[in-house]
Amino acid sequence: MALLLRTVARQGLCPSRSQFGVLYRYAVPMGTTAKEEMNKFWSKNTRLNRPVSPHISIYKWSIPMMMSISHRGTGVALSSGISAFALAALVLPESYPYYLDLIHSMTFGPQFLAFSKFALAFPVVYHTFNGIRHLVWDLGKGFKIPEVYRSGYMVIALTVLASIGLAAM
Amino acid sequence: MATLVRISSVCHRGVSPLLFRSSSLIRPLAVQKKDRDCPYLISAKIHATPSNYAGSGSKAASLHWTGERILSIVLLGLAPVAYYYPGPAVDYSLAAALTLHGHWGLGQILTDYVHGDFKIKMANAGLFLLSTVTFAGLCYFNYHDVGICKAVALLWSK
Repeated sequence: MALLLRTVARQGLCPSRSQFGVLYRYAVPMGTTAKEEMNKFWSKNTRLNRPVSPHISIYKWSIPMMMSISHRGTGVALSSGISAFALAALVLPESYPYYLDLIHSMTFGPQFLAFSKFALAFPVVYHTFNGIRHLVWDLGKGFKIPEVYRSGYMVIALTVLASIGLAAM
Repeated sequence: MATLVRISSVCHRGVSPLLFRSSSLIRPLAVQKKDRDCPYLISAKIHATPSNYAGSGSKAASLHWTGERILSIVLLGLAPVAYYYPGPAVDYSLAAALTLHGHWGLGQILTDYVHGDFKIKMANAGLFLLSTVTFAGLCYFNYHDVGICKAVALLWSK
């Protein structure tokens, strides 16, 4: 969620009796929802044809960044795969064992089979383990930077091991 | 739930304005005690959802978030169940959980990258169509073909 910093015209400050610490004495609920605010932001900025500041093209890539977009990427890939499979099930005339044997007869040996099992298992396993990492964050744990890196390396290591293990089955 | 705090008035007297402007919104600012006559009070505008507030009183977004997490955990639990107890019950549960998890996940991606009322509406309609076809296809596969669990088992047996 974007933090919108808007400072209104300068006004005087009156901390009244309060010392340091809490700045504001009154909390006023805004008249718009966060969704409306976002829509206003985007419509205004696209209307004015404002360019977007470079961000992913200039910021140094880090492991957490890469893992985050990979989580999204594997999610999209897996979802597309499932949708393609479902569509194929509806459209193709023959049954699954038929097509499986067809593909099997075309394969180039056991290494190819093992590799394709690994290639199939890898995104599933990565998305699963990183998903657990996300759920732990949702509980509010593990946000310190060293912890983020540690859990990230853990996910990568477990993914590689589990994918190899599954491909060997 | 995150609250957006907007500082609507900041004192610049005697202090570099940049110092205050760049402060984090959530952190309270240290305020210099000024005993001068100042009629204005600091007020912060926040996104609040009190139950008596008509405009944004819905808990829908929050409940959706919770539902997403619960579904993720359910899906996580389905994996070992599918391995040890394959069958139609797990097949259809997997079909539903996978489709819904993917639907909600893709929905978040659309929310992140698609802007503009019409485009959002079109994208969500397309997603809904995709998810419907996906679920229909998976159920068809479960009913007329070998089913998800058996399909994975067959694939892996080769």
